[in-house]
Amino acid sequence: MSPKIRLLVFLAAVVCILPAVGRLALQMPAFGAHPLPYGDAIDAAAPGERHVTNMVSAINFDYRGFDTLGEEFMLLCAVTGTVVLLRGHRGEALEARPGIVRGRAIAPRSEAVALISRLTAPVIVLFGVYVALHAMTTPGGGFQGGVIIATGMLLAFFGDGYPGWRRVSNSKVLDAFEGGGAALYALCGFASMLLGLPFLTNFLPIGTLKDVFSGGLMLVENAGVGLAVTGSFLLLFLEFLEETRTKKPKDGP
Amino acid sequence: MNWLPWAVAAWLLGIGLYGVVTSRNYVHLIGCLSVVQAATYVLLLGVGYRWNAVAPIFYDHPPGTPSVDPVVQALVLTDVVIGATVTALLLAMALQLHKNRETLDPQQLRPLRE
Repeated sequence: MSPKIRLLVFLAAVVCILPAVGRLALQMPAFGAHPLPYGDAIDAAAPGERHVTNMVSAINFDYRGFDTLGEEFMLLCAVTGTVVLLRGHRGEALEARPGIVRGRAIAPRSEAVALISRLTAPVIVLFGVYVALHAMTTPGGGFQGGVIIATGMLLAFFGDGYPGWRRVSNSKVLDAFEGGGAALYALCGFASMLLGLPFLTNFLPIGTLKDVFSGGLMLVENAGVGLAVTGSFLLLFLEFLEETRTKKPKDGP
Repeated sequence: MNWLPWAVAAWLLGIGLYGVVTSRNYVHLIGCLSVVQAATYVLLLGVGYRWNAVAPIFYDHPPGTPSVDPVVQALVLTDVVIGATVTALLLAMALQLHKNRETLDPQQLRPLRE
């Protein structure tokens, strides 16, 4: 199909669908002033039943915990696919040379960038751990914390270049983080079943409200998600950065 | 102005799809797909919004304070993380495509023959 015909088909579809979208938008309940029964039910139940103050975590890890297991496996599949596509061929060795694009100079690293990266990376990683740990009380959790930790670790590449980055990111450890995190989440569900309870039932002591270690089984699930997200994002960074290196001479394209 | 959030979501969906349809580069196409995905974030968060309400965190506010809907926030949270990794998977495919076929233009690609 030529680009012109494709655009015409798209415009025809827009003309057909637009009146329906417009009618729907005008018929929607008043913005910000309609009842939210499901959310209100969670708000009313979770602080008393589960002793957590972060409703989003209560939903992710408890009331809709089974959904999060599915999300976890989607994460695992997407990252596994990326790794399968990109692993091998180049960049595996510490001393792998940077790839060269003709006509583009490789600028030397500024010392200011190295200093700032080395100073801020540990602080950012620590902040990520803090965000991940406080999932049950304040805004945060394994998903957000894991991404912050991975971003902080990536600063090793800016500060110390490729060899420095490779020294802090061992792909075997990251594989274990990613798979182990997802497995930990699934095992939480099976642990409930071993005790004769339904899948993912919260059977651990739930602690006191506003305490970091409240929420029982949710804490373990949150740790699993945190490990899996940290491992996933670092694996993605690792595989994409390997692509910036030159090929080994004996390998194909 | 009740329709404005839904109009923004529809606009993001439309402009993202327009980019996908007219794209001449797979990296650009994957970016457009992320814009389409952003439409779902606006839609979900718009559905769960409530005027003069707090975030669904009851650390500082006593439980029972009116809050915005935590259910859609949980959905968007996981969606953002999954979206990022799926974008990475698509970019890895684009990278392998460029290695094997030396092009990223969808128009230049013909079906693979045996």
